[in-house]
Amino acid sequence: MPESSFTRDVEKLGEIYQFAEDVMSANDIDDSVRFPIHLALEELFVNLVTYNPGAQQDIRIDVEIVSQGVTVTITDHDAEDFDVTRDPGVDTSASLRERKPGGLGLHLIQHMVDSLEYDHRDGRSRIRFSKEAGSSDV
Amino acid sequence: MFEINFGDTGEIVCRGRLDAAQSDKADAFMGNLSASCTADFEHLEYISSAGLAILLKTQKRLSESGAALKIINVNKHIYDIFRYSGFTAIFEIETL
Repeated sequence: MPESSFTRDVEKLGEIYQFAEDVMSANDIDDSVRFPIHLALEELFVNLVTYNPGAQQDIRIDVEIVSQGVTVTITDHDAEDFDVTRDPGVDTSASLRERKPGGLGLHLIQHMVDSLEYDHRDGRSRIRFSKEAGSSDV
Repeated sequence: MFEINFGDTGEIVCRGRLDAAQSDKADAFMGNLSASCTADFEHLEYISSAGLAILLKTQKRLSESGAALKIINVNKHIYDIFRYSGFTAIFEIETL
């Protein structure tokens, strides 16, 4: 299974996209899968970097091709417990005046991937998500 | 890669990927808008919540003076992001 580790820097996003894209391109993964995979990778990586400012260890990303889809596992050995499967509580029907910028990342992931799992033990967070072609309109 | 500038007819032209690494560039540009404007997303390939936050912040600020940001030439993937985010109700949006 292809895997790579990235330093905790938002500027690494370009390298992360390229890593995932190389795996998906080599396996003819449909465009309808690539977009949500990129989105979930970014949102989750940025969350880990932003909300664990004192952390030092690299974040590991595994990309696995499964049938017509992709399963990604993100492992962080230096993260606080933060369950990414919980409801972020964004009210997308609120008026413009009531809306507040931010908080949309987890909301989007939860709508756009097929499965999202979270586990945290002994300071290690493991997030796994998957997306298959034709599984939704995104 | 992300680029944002004014086009020949005064519209805002966005190109590339508007992600968390590029949102400061978009924020600085959008922060200078003070009147209604159209943003052309024909060449914008990707947007994440970091970019959405800039758009929402801009629309809220413009609305205080009765102005608004309109977004045109939105691709299917980005339109779905807008739909899931509730942006289709608070922006005038035209798809490709």
